[in-house]
This record gives sequence, C-alpha cells and structure tokens, in this order.
Amino acid sequence: MIALALLIVAGPLAGPVAALAKAKARVAGMTGTAGALVSLAAAIALLGTGLHRTVNLQAWNGFIYIDGLGEFFLLTVSLVTVLAAIGSIGYLSAEEDKGTLSAFQVRLYFVFFGLFASLMLASLETGNLGLLFVLVEGSTLASAALVGLEGKARSLEAAWKYVIISSLGVTIALAGTLFLFYAGTALHLGSDQRLTWPYLFAHAAMLAPQPLRLAFLLAVVGYGTKVGLAPMHTWLPDAHAEAPSPASAMLSAALLNTGMYAIIRFQAITAARLGTGFPRAVLLSFGFASVLIGVLFMVRRGNFKRLFAYSSVEHMGIIAVALGFGGLLGLYGALLHTINHAVAKAVLFLGSGDIALRYRTREATGVGGLMTAAPAAGAALLLGSLAVLGSPPFGLFLSEFTIVRAGFERASPVFPLLLLGLLAVAFIAFARTTTGMITGAPAPAPAAAQAPDQAQAPADPYQGRAARLSAIIPVAAGLALLLVLGLWIPAGLNTAIMHSLAAIT
Amino acid sequence: MAENLSATSPAGVLLDLSGVVILLLAFACLGSKLFNRYVVYYGAQSVVLAFAAGVAAWTFHSVELWILAGVTLAVKGIGIPLATRGLLLRRLAMARDAAISTGLSTSLIAGGGLTAFAYLVTRPQLLPHGVVAAAVVPLSTAVILLGALAMVVRRHTVAQLIGWLIVENGVFLGAITLVATFPFIVEAGIFLDVAAGVLIMLVFVSGLTRQLAEASASELKGLRG
Repeated sequence: MIALALLIVAGPLAGPVAALAKAKARVAGMTGTAGALVSLAAAIALLGTGLHRTVNLQAWNGFIYIDGLGEFFLLTVSLVTVLAAIGSIGYLSAEEDKGTLSAFQVRLYFVFFGLFASLMLASLETGNLGLLFVLVEGSTLASAALVGLEGKARSLEAAWKYVIISSLGVTIALAGTLFLFYAGTALHLGSDQRLTWPYLFAHAAMLAPQPLRLAFLLAVVGYGTKVGLAPMHTWLPDAHAEAPSPASAMLSAALLNTGMYAIIRFQAITAARLGTGFPRAVLLSFGFASVLIGVLFMVRRGNFKRLFAYSSVEHMGIIAVALGFGGLLGLYGALLHTINHAVAKAVLFLGSGDIALRYRTREATGVGGLMTAAPAAGAALLLGSLAVLGSPPFGLFLSEFTIVRAGFERASPVFPLLLLGLLAVAFIAFARTTTGMITGAPAPAPAAAQAPDQAQAPADPYQGRAARLSAIIPVAAGLALLLVLGLWIPAGLNTAIMHSLAAIT
Repeated sequence: MAENLSATSPAGVLLDLSGVVILLLAFACLGSKLFNRYVVYYGAQSVVLAFAAGVAAWTFHSVELWILAGVTLAVKGIGIPLATRGLLLRRLAMARDAAISTGLSTSLIAGGGLTAFAYLVTRPQLLPHGVVAAAVVPLSTAVILLGALAMVVRRHTVAQLIGWLIVENGVFLGAITLVATFPFIVEAGIFLDVAAGVLIMLVFVSGLTRQLAEASASELKGLRG
C-alpha cells in the first residue's frame, strides 16, 4: 500500500526526467502523460482498496497518512494532472514550433510542471500538518516558475504577485499550525504526533479552545490565500491569465483544491472541539465574499482567461459555503462540487489554450465566430461554459443543487436564496462574454491583418496529428466525464465520498 | 518543554530580551529610509534570531536546534543580506532610496498600532502567566504584523521580499519559544522552502529589472480588474 502511495507521488516526475534528458516538447509531454496516467491508476487502486480497509494507511510516525478524504483528493488532483499533461503536449509543442518559447523554457516548463504535480500529490498524503505546510509552500514555488515562464513583463508581474502574496499567506497558515501545536500542549504526545492530524482529531476534546480558535482563523486566512478566497484572491486572476494554459488548468483545478483540503483538515479538528458554529461563521463569511467578488468581476468583459479565473474564485466560494453549511449533505455537496469544478475548469482552461494559440490573443473581443472558424474549439467552449455555470445535464448542476438543499436544511433560508441569486448573475455575466466569442462573424486572425491574402479563419497552430489530438482528447474526455457525473453518480464515487466524510466527522 | 520555560530563568530572560531586540529591529527596518540600512537591520535581526535559537538549543540540549541556529546565522544573517545588497543593489544599480508609499511617520504609527493589536490578541487568554512563551508570543506576532506592513508600504520588490523574510523571522521566533520540539524534518523543510523562495524571487526581480526601469511595485500595473 505504501508503495502505491509513493508511486502516486513519483509518477509525475517522469516528465522532469525526460526534460532534463533534453527531450523535445513532444517526447517530454508524452513521458509526462504516461507518468501522470501511472499516478492516476495508482490513485484509483488506492481508493479501491481503501474502501475495504478498516485502518487508515499510516507510516513513518504519521508523516505518511492517507484516509478517505486524502484518497478522494488524490483522485481529483491526479485526474486533473492527466488532463493537463495531455494538453501540455499540444500546447508546448505548438509554442516550440512557433518559436515563442525557447527549448530551455520548454524544458523548464516540464520540469516544474512535474514537480508541481508531485508536490501537490505529496501534500495530500501526509498527516503531519507541518509537512503539509512545507509541501504546499513548495508547490507554490514550483507553480510560480510556471506562471513566470514566458519571461515577459506581464507574466513576471503576475508571477511576482503570486509568489509574494501566496508565500505570505502560507506563512500565516504556518503561524496557525504553530498555534494548533500549542493547543495540544495538554495531550502529552511525542513531538511528531502532536502535529499529526489523526492524533489531534482523535484527541480534539482535550485541545485548548482559545489557541485552537486562533489556529483555525489563521489557517483559513493562510490556506484561503491559496484557495483564492476573497479578499485574499488578488493574485489569482493574474496568475491564471498569464500562465501557459495547461498550467492555468493545474492552478485552478488542482492547486486551489489542495488549499481547500488543508482548510477541511483544520475545520474537522475545530468543529470537533468548538462545535460547528464558529467554523461555520468563518467559512460562510469568506465563502459569500468570494462568490460576490467573483461574480462582480465576471461582469467585466476582457481577457477570457481572467474570466475563468474569477469563476474559480466564485466556485471556491461555493465550496467554502458548502463546508460552512456542513452536515452530511453540505460536506457531500462540497466534495462532489470539488471534483466537478476541477474537471470543468480543466476543460475550460485547456480549451482556452487552444483558442489562445489560434488567435494569439487572450482578449475576448479578439475572438469571434468560433463555431464557424474552429468548430471543435467553439463546441468545447460552449459546453464547458454551460457545465461550469451549473446547467443540467452536467455534474455541477447536481452538486450546486445539493449544496443549496444543504443550505435550506441546515441554515436560514436567506443563505441558499442569496447563493441562488448570485449564481444567476454569474450565469448572465459569464455567458455574455463567451457567447460573443462563440457566435457572430469570425474575427480575422491577427496574421491576416498584415497579410490580407491569407485565409480568414485562424491558422491551425498544431503540427502533426499527435499534437492536434492532444488538444482535443482532454477536453472531450473531461466533458464526457462531466456528463456522466451529471446523469448519475457512479456507485464507486458515492462510496468514496461517504468514506471521506466518515474520516472527518 | 519550551512552552513551560519560566520567564525568570536565565534562558527565559535571554529569549525574552532577544524577542524585544527583534521587534525593535523590525521597527528599524520599517523606519529606515535607505536600502542599505534596511537590509542591514534585517541581517541583524536574523543574527539575534540565531542567538535566540542557540539559547533554546543550549537549554534543551537539542542538536537539531543547534543546526538550525547555525543555518539561520549563515543564510539569513549573512547570506541573504549580502546577496540582496551585492547582487541586486550593485549590479542592477538600483536607487539607494527604499521608497515608501506612505509617509515614514505614518507607517511607524501604524506599526505601533499593530504591536498594540498583537498584545491585545495574544496576551490575555492564550498563555499562562510566568512562562517565557507568554512574553515572546505577542512579540513574535507583532514582528509578523510589522513584516506584513513593510510588504504593504514598501514600493520596491526587493523590499517586499525582505518584508516577507521579516514575517518568516517572526514565525520562527514564535516557533522556538512556543514549541521548541517542532519536528526537525518540518523545521528543515521550512528552511528549504524559504531558501528556494528567496532564490526564485530574486530570479523574478532580476527579470523584472531587465524589463522595467527599476522593478518597483509602482510600475507593476499591467494587470488589473
């Protein structure tokens, strides 16, 4: 079992190895994809065996600890990694062929992409909250390198903002971890155990309440910075907009969830000691603030990757609200929404990478008539937008519905009604921009402006079938998965979510 | 257990004193006009922090803490100040003035307010009286807040980076007094993260310097909304 856990973390490192051996984008990308697939297979196997296990996986004094919740997030993150790794093949080889990125930059990309994925997966496998901090901060640094990869003034600005704000945030979370450690003074456990989640959770009743309260607040602010909860979200739209698209998919669909995972761990301990009232107040405040901010900034028309980024702020807010509602239904909705949002946002960002490559712009006004100019990209954007906005028959409808139901059941009806209202505004704001891109007359490709004799439709950016396929496969697979999740929740996934809930309640 | 170290024992007094000096140096950073001094004060703060870690190591006979004290002295006390001064100030010929976006006195008054706030939040309920942690934790909280304030008011990217390192020093001070028994692997990991973080931030800063006139955050206005 431990071997399986190690395999999950080691899988994504195949890409960096290939890149260090000076492979071209295509080869490095395929190696990375193979590694990510190994990691996903191992995560599924671990989840499968986990359902029959009565004792949680634990080794090395709790430095490795995997329970149902960890297994569920491992599945989500490794799934997103596979999608983004496939997307990387096409995106990076197109950039390499065009000469936008040098061979060195391409190698850097694959090295840091693999490190980033591996560190995130590792952070989901540790029970030691101090090590969790170390790994989350490590993944911040690896992903910051991806954001700044293009080396232009804008991307460096985004990377600077990202690394400085996130590092400060995570340092605040470290202070929270410190207070949690202190709250456990009365436990008389060994020093390793006092930071180990299962021990703290089992002995939550003996923790000192005041330091614990402070610890939770600091953890939500700190890890909330990584999640992109408002008002700590300011790095998020810049980083998502400036990173190469497959890296944006990883940021939005994997990194934000890792931060949320850390918050769930702290919430479980706090709720066990102080009751659900305090964590609920905190999470509902940050959650609604994020939904509101996300929705308001989506109204503006402009860079479409920023639009998707603000939609991530909104969805992370929804998950925080769901955690705040709590109860079986609320937590179930939160986890279901996590995996749905991850897949939908991966689809959107990978699809947007395709569009950005074709039009060489990230401004929504520069793109039009996708349905006629590039039907596959247009369809992906249309279906992806519908999915992420929570329309049936996609999975997000089901999870948002569950969360609203949880709200009616567990809190005053004001909250779920407010959430519904905000979701409606989000729908209009988001669709206003994307419909403009999908329908209408095709916008001329930027190259056509200088060379009018060229075709009106934007040029196909890919060379070779492998690259072209790698742009389509993850988007199509993601959409199919969302459709399945919207029609029914597979029995295995249902059991997995119930199993994770059992680990934290 | 470090958290129960009496405030009147020699080690307790030394730790308490180091905490006070670290807070004063954080104020000195906040109030210094010149870049050189700002970096020197940060270096001095790290040296005092290494001393405090040494005191804790000596008291608890902890080899790990000795190692951490040594590494803190070498990297934070000497390495980072030299690197930022030599590499960035000299080679990139940046302005010697560490620009501040509010008035100097305003930022110092805000710093005083934050220190009072730190005492308000941490002192009364959290810790039993008479232990050294009760005295040092409010100090370290104040250092964290002052570092964050320096990140906010300083315009230059390198100054912001050092602001983050001041925050880190505050957390470290809290860690050695509150929980001297923090697992070593975690402490080492944190240190590695800080070192890697500084490295990557310096790469970004030199990249920004090549693109912009002086890598001041006031020039970082391309991304909005």
